[in-house]
Amino acid sequence: MQVFRLCLKILKKQIPSMLIYIIIFLAIALIMSSATANEQQQDNSFTRAKSNMALISEENTPLIDGFKQELGKVANFVELPDDHEALQDALYFRSVSYILRVPEGFTESFMQGENVQLEKTIVPNSISNTYIDLCIDQYFNTARLYVQQMENISQESLVQYLKSDLAVGASVELKTVSDQSVNHNYANYYFNYLSYSLLSVLILGMAALMLVFYDSELKRRNACSPLSSKSVNLQFILAILVFTVLSCLIMVTFCILFNFKNSLNLNTVYFIINSFVFAVCGAGISFLIGNLVKSHNAIPAISNVVTLGLCFISGVFVPLELLGNTAIKIASFTPTYWFVKANNQIAELTQFGFADVEPIFSSMLIQIGFALAFFAAALVVNKKRRFD
Amino acid sequence: MIIEVNNLVKRYGDLTAVDHLSLAVNDGEVFGLLGPNGSGKTTTINCILSLLEYDQGEIEIFGQPMTPESYNIKRDIGIVMQNVAVYNELTVYENIDYFCGLYIPNNKLRKKLVLEAIDFVGLDEYSKFYPKKLSGGLLRRLNIACGIAHKPKLIILDEPTVAVDPQSRNKILEGILELNRQGATIIYTSHYMEEVEHICSRIMILDKGKAIATGTNGELKAMINMGEKITVQSNYMSAEQLAKISQLPNIVSAEHNSPLLVIKSSRGTNNLETVLDFIKKERIQHSKIYSELPTLNDVFLELTGKELRD
Amino acid sequence: MFAHIFIYRLKCLLRDKETIFWTLLFPLLLAVFFNIAFANLNKGEIFKAIDIAIVDDVNYQSNQYFKTALNEASQGDDRLFNLTVASKEKADQLLINNSISGYIVVENPINLVVNRSGLNPNIIKSFIDNYMQTVSSVNSILLADPAKQQELLSSLGNRQQYIKEISGTAAEPNNILNYFYTLIAMACFYGGFLGMREITDIQADISPLAARINVAPVHKLKTIISSMSASLLIHLTEMLLLLIFLRFVLQVDFGSKIGFVILTTVIGSIAGVTFGALISALVKKSEGIKVAILIGVTMFGSFLAGMMYQNMKYIVAQKIPVLSYLNPVNLLTDAFYCLYYYDTFSRYALNMGILSIFIVIFCVGTYSIIRRRKYASL
Repeated sequence: MQVFRLCLKILKKQIPSMLIYIIIFLAIALIMSSATANEQQQDNSFTRAKSNMALISEENTPLIDGFKQELGKVANFVELPDDHEALQDALYFRSVSYILRVPEGFTESFMQGENVQLEKTIVPNSISNTYIDLCIDQYFNTARLYVQQMENISQESLVQYLKSDLAVGASVELKTVSDQSVNHNYANYYFNYLSYSLLSVLILGMAALMLVFYDSELKRRNACSPLSSKSVNLQFILAILVFTVLSCLIMVTFCILFNFKNSLNLNTVYFIINSFVFAVCGAGISFLIGNLVKSHNAIPAISNVVTLGLCFISGVFVPLELLGNTAIKIASFTPTYWFVKANNQIAELTQFGFADVEPIFSSMLIQIGFALAFFAAALVVNKKRRFD
Repeated sequence: MIIEVNNLVKRYGDLTAVDHLSLAVNDGEVFGLLGPNGSGKTTTINCILSLLEYDQGEIEIFGQPMTPESYNIKRDIGIVMQNVAVYNELTVYENIDYFCGLYIPNNKLRKKLVLEAIDFVGLDEYSKFYPKKLSGGLLRRLNIACGIAHKPKLIILDEPTVAVDPQSRNKILEGILELNRQGATIIYTSHYMEEVEHICSRIMILDKGKAIATGTNGELKAMINMGEKITVQSNYMSAEQLAKISQLPNIVSAEHNSPLLVIKSSRGTNNLETVLDFIKKERIQHSKIYSELPTLNDVFLELTGKELRD
Repeated sequence: MFAHIFIYRLKCLLRDKETIFWTLLFPLLLAVFFNIAFANLNKGEIFKAIDIAIVDDVNYQSNQYFKTALNEASQGDDRLFNLTVASKEKADQLLINNSISGYIVVENPINLVVNRSGLNPNIIKSFIDNYMQTVSSVNSILLADPAKQQELLSSLGNRQQYIKEISGTAAEPNNILNYFYTLIAMACFYGGFLGMREITDIQADISPLAARINVAPVHKLKTIISSMSASLLIHLTEMLLLLIFLRFVLQVDFGSKIGFVILTTVIGSIAGVTFGALISALVKKSEGIKVAILIGVTMFGSFLAGMMYQNMKYIVAQKIPVLSYLNPVNLLTDAFYCLYYYDTFSRYALNMGILSIFIVIFCVGTYSIIRRRKYASL
């Protein structure tokens, strides 16, 4: 087992560099866990996240009062001074995501059936703002019906009508099979991010290992030793395997530690299986890179380009739903995409019948296919390199 | 006096790397610092150059105390480090020009000096090469050229021939002597005694940070009570014969480790003849007999009780 | 002497492939990745029709109004829903499989069955609520004046927009920009690779090359200033290339204050180069460790500034506000965003002020270490 031991020794030397990636990853994971902690409670009932908004009204009328009450159902009001910079700051720091201004004379014009508008300033792409938009449009569109159809309706009676109309709504039935107290958001994030650090660590370790191991002088010396090349290769593969499994194991363990109360379920098992499948794939990528890389200085460069590139275009950092079609098309040629996709599917699993888990297994199979392709490519490169 | 070091002490924690060392280098000398690895040669050099802090002692170069800010002194020193210290991104020419430029601001003069230096180390064909493309020997020569291009009065060479092929080594050694002939004072450190014997006019032997002997080649050898060493290949002799040999005139010791009989004699003439006569007379079976003069290694062995080579 | 060292430093650094990679190619590559990943965020094509089911029963078939409304919402390119008409059992099955976000049962009131809270279920609910509320209004009006029916039906169809968006600032708030701004900030701090080399090449206890420089008759401060100037010139040029690439190839908006954007980049560049110098002077370990620390610290700073997850910046600002001021990558990102977003300069000035303090710390720290002209050991 000399070769095996040598490999582990070489890898040990890489620990400080690898540790930096692991520590950063864990720090990020901890921050994420505290950031998502708030989201954990909400899922027991059907709720709408109320977003914070500021309502700046330049007039005070019964219509606007009723509107305010209605709006209170979908938003929390934050008092802000009507000061340009204060409002900018509030949006900038997300203390409110929506500022609505009721211009002076709005009610009067509205009651006369004129076309008037409220002014909003928002943080873009904030989902909860959509509800506020819907609520405002619904309120005034309904009001418009009355104003048009009932001549000379007073503001007070209009508000009364609106109040009773807007009180009706669909009843919602929350139907779940699994325990809703379990939330997989965090695990989903964690495992998606895991692909970044796991891949970094694997490439760093493996490339360093290959550089030493395939260094021509050392290789010649090994070739002269009485060990069969089969035994050397087997030991080498064993070392890679141990390294891969160990790296993956460490990161997975921390997820369970950070998120223990959400971890005791089948989803976690699937997350872990998926991670190990991805780790094998990562080993393939690293093995290929290890075969291509020629100097120690190039390792961090290649590792960063490959990991960040893969993670940005295949949904690790930017959620898959937000990626464009082109990006998704490119991404589907990367294993990270299938890893992330499987993770997202696992996070939604509530039942574990064959039909439910089938798409997950096919994502994993694709990852294994990628792994095989990477290993095959690496062997081709390796063979070519040997003759050089 | 070019360099004067007085009572220099340098400690690394508990280890005393240079132990109350004093030395003086005269104008025009090739001064050799000889000692095994770890004996404190490089540390001494670094202290002389004010690169290292030292615990005790005074150092003067060209009669002035040496400090990191002594630019007037530094201008006249050329240094060739033990490790090859060149920029991988610069060509042979550019490297020499860069380092030379730190000493010689005048462009015209510098160009001339750089070309001379390239010629001097025989790198003419390689002046556009990057260091990575040079073999070990050529790289060493570049390393030297970078140190001496500005024609300094004092050149310090710290093991410039480590891991160099014999051709390059000869070229380097001849070059050093040439520099000396042109008027430079040279300090040369090495653990190869043949080199030191070959080029140095005065030698200091260092061991464990202490100077154990200083002098010319001859003076050093004269320090030990050994004239010549006679070796006889002989498979057998009696203890009685051995005892008789050691009692011969001028013979200091005789040891027989079959098949070699090693006889050491003190200074004197005809020692070999006496031994030969005795062997003939006693009819001691023998094959080869040869006689050697003492080497610096013998000096070192005699003074420290251990081999110089490491 | 300055020119001699400066020119040779330029040659050296420009031929150092590794440094050029980190300081120029890597940010450019990342910018391309960003552009691919965020292409969609820019165009706002985010909305995808929601998969829902309607339980096909007598109530549904007889409620002509709702049927029409639902079918209308499920047609066309900008449809709200992908509608499946199914039996209750089938709808249940679809919901469990996560094939649909929810299904609707026409009862009184209309019932929505979902398996979780979230955006899609909420949109479905809003749709139904609006329908029911409109029905309620129509009923109220008809109760008061049954003759209005015809008129009412025609005005129902034309809903109006009651909100218009106005920009409260110099520019539209824009989420994608922050990603590119963190990228510039990161690239500034990768200038650390240059600063790192400068120190390695001048500290005799780090490299033998530096020992040779140290024995030359040139004042160390002069050497370091000359070579640092070369590093800065190279890095500034690289940063300008990056800015040009972002602005003209990827069409990233920097707002109107271009002069200040360049000024910010210059300050950021100085901060990055001196940051690398400090790391190099502080950490006497191998090159590999130094590089790992530089990359690690910069990446972590970039993460906190929102490079991988945009909201991180705001989470930090709300939960640990000190951290957003202690993270120079964030300060720089924020400065760029302020230039784009604010009309006033107060916040920008605050960022640049703190960043300048950082630069002073980096410089003083580095100088206090390299000031020693003699070394304890080599």
